[in-house]
Amino acid sequence: MVDALMDYETFVKGCAAIGAGLAVGLAGIGAGAGESGIGAAAVGAIAEDRSFLGLGLLFTVIPETIVIFGLVISFILMFAYV
Amino acid sequence: MLKPEKMVKISVVGPKEQLEYASETLHKVNLLHIEDPKEAEYFRIGEPLEKASLVSRSLVQLRSYISYLKIDPGRIVPKRKYRSKEIEDMLSKKLEEYQEQIGSKIEENRSIDEKIRGLEDELRIIEPLKVLGIPSRLLKGYKNLRCFVGFVKENPVEELSKITDQFDAVIKEYEKELLVAIFVKAEYGDDFFRTLQAFGYRELPVPDVDDYDARINEIEREKEELLNRKKQLETEIEEIKVKEAELLLAIEEYLSTELDKSEMPLKALVSKYTFVIVGYVPAKQLDKFRSEVERNGKIVVEVIEEEEEDVPPTKLDNPAVVRDYELLTTTYATPRYKEIDPTPIMAIFFTIFFGMMLGDMGYGLLITILALYLKTIFKTEGWQKLLNIAVYCGISSILFGFIYGEFFGPFIIPGMEEPSKIHFLGDALSALYTFNHHHPLFDRVEEFGVKALLFIVLLIGMFKMLWGFALGFYNVYIEHGMKEAIYEKGCWFIGVLGLVMLIFGFSYNLEIFTSPPEEGFGALLPDNLYILGSYTVEEGRAVPLPIPGLVDGWQAGVNIFYLLALPLLIVWFVIFLKAEIPKMGIFGIIMAVELLTWFGQIISYARLLAIGLSSVYIAFVINYLSVKIGTPPGMALLPVAIILLLIGHAGNLLLGILDPGLQSLRLHYVEFFTKFFEGGGKEYSPFGRVKKFLED
Repeated sequence: MVDALMDYETFVKGCAAIGAGLAVGLAGIGAGAGESGIGAAAVGAIAEDRSFLGLGLLFTVIPETIVIFGLVISFILMFAYV
Repeated sequence: MLKPEKMVKISVVGPKEQLEYASETLHKVNLLHIEDPKEAEYFRIGEPLEKASLVSRSLVQLRSYISYLKIDPGRIVPKRKYRSKEIEDMLSKKLEEYQEQIGSKIEENRSIDEKIRGLEDELRIIEPLKVLGIPSRLLKGYKNLRCFVGFVKENPVEELSKITDQFDAVIKEYEKELLVAIFVKAEYGDDFFRTLQAFGYRELPVPDVDDYDARINEIEREKEELLNRKKQLETEIEEIKVKEAELLLAIEEYLSTELDKSEMPLKALVSKYTFVIVGYVPAKQLDKFRSEVERNGKIVVEVIEEEEEDVPPTKLDNPAVVRDYELLTTTYATPRYKEIDPTPIMAIFFTIFFGMMLGDMGYGLLITILALYLKTIFKTEGWQKLLNIAVYCGISSILFGFIYGEFFGPFIIPGMEEPSKIHFLGDALSALYTFNHHHPLFDRVEEFGVKALLFIVLLIGMFKMLWGFALGFYNVYIEHGMKEAIYEKGCWFIGVLGLVMLIFGFSYNLEIFTSPPEEGFGALLPDNLYILGSYTVEEGRAVPLPIPGLVDGWQAGVNIFYLLALPLLIVWFVIFLKAEIPKMGIFGIIMAVELLTWFGQIISYARLLAIGLSSVYIAFVINYLSVKIGTPPGMALLPVAIILLLIGHAGNLLLGILDPGLQSLRLHYVEFFTKFFEGGGKEYSPFGRVKKFLED
């Protein structure tokens, strides 16, 4: 069916683009889920002690590495196939 | 730089009657970090000087006034400074005056609040009774009847009539609840009470008031009078605040100083005739300290040999610009005395990273201007430091913005070679660049730019990772010796170096070092560094790692970097086993997986590229939409376009400050500091006080 609609190369490119999107998007969801718990705890800690603000913000962004991984994967996909 | 200032451990010794003089002098010199004393056979911790209790009493009183008047010492820049003598002379008179002026007003204000509260409580009882419409004398004082007056959640009559029908109930609705007055024969009283409780009965205490309306009016009138008086008091207090704030703070400073001095003996060891104070002085200041303290000839300063378990305080020693960044380091931890102080490294890389991520002349300029403006408003030390950092970061963003060619968004349309026609400044900016053909110097929205920057930031990551382990090696070496240093840090340094070689080998096979731009960085290295034959990239196929048995034709891919990586990884693994197996047993091998963590942390530096790109594209989208909306042949709604531009760029600027700032900080705290920086040092806080409202 694929052959009928588009050639093979286009199909691969499309799949790679979708994969790249999924890599960033799903990683983003994962990081968001991770950050939600940390963020809530950090806000609680800050409410107790204002001086925790800096450290709290920092802890909150730690899971963001996962998105960066996703992004790197998507770059590789885009460079390699699209 | 890189090391905290050198400290000398000293003792100050003198005859006991000189203790007061000593405390006076030490406080004035403001150099000695006093250690908490340990009692010994003949030496006991001293007792505060006599004046301490009087001073602390006055201080508590004064501070309560200051906090009541909500005076923030951080916001006040003194117009004139007071001499200590001056304050001393007027102290008792002023304290009395304040007691009279502020103390009595605070007292009166408090009693007014209390009265108002009482009146409001009464109102809360009388108002429902008024709704009920039964005079209070009919609601109590019966001999054979029980009368329940109060609130219930639902109508209880049905339940009550199951007990007896010989009762009378008046029920009114009041603020979502039911207000009831129930009269029943005394003998059913207890049963009724229990039933009513099931309905959430809340009793209203009936006061001796007959005319509810009259009493309500009276309360309202009284309350208004009290409120007027309160307002008047507040204006008076505000007047005092404006007039006396500086003097109050000066007196507070004076009293605090006096309290410090009179409590100093608590940090000294005192015998029958002598006293000893032990502490640390910066080595550079020792001579000055000695000459000041020994001036009267009765007190002696002596340098003590440091012992193994001594923990000297940390005084960071950095030049002026770097000192601002100490704020960021100490947020993580205070370095220990023997540790490397990472602040200078942080100062350089934090600023560069911020600029690399934001990299926009327009935003950089705005941040710089904004920070300089805020510096004139927020005068406290912490804010000044933070805003200084913002200024440096702003300038760094301008520089990188120039390199990237970005001014409120990219200069070049992504995907096209020519300068953007829909740029925020459009052709005006093109005209500014006479060397337009060579600009941007580095274009990070083009595919080559993204690839190249990705590789550059990973290079930075590898470099900082190795640097971190090298610093860690030094720290451990200083504290625990060579063997520990090799086991704990050197091992991982070699491991990560092997990892770096693997990445280089992979990159070499991708022809990054040998191809001209678009594919690589140009012919930086010869293209024949292959050991077992040569290798070329196949179209559309990733370069395999040359693992024998797993990859066909692996021999072709073996280049010099892979060859270097092999012994490094073997050495790492051997040292690793020697270090871990004795500690963890055979399962310690699992810990080797940690090498992958370091790989992940190198990849984590890709955020230097990613955060920047997202902000560029947001800016680009805002510009694009605005031009389409604002100019023909679009919708030609110029005002809407301008509002969109303003809001969009303001939002992007906010993200552009917050995210690069946090991510840059994180790259240091998580990816860099964990390799070598433990912290937990004591901050150097000399006995004394920096005077703000007083002068010598």
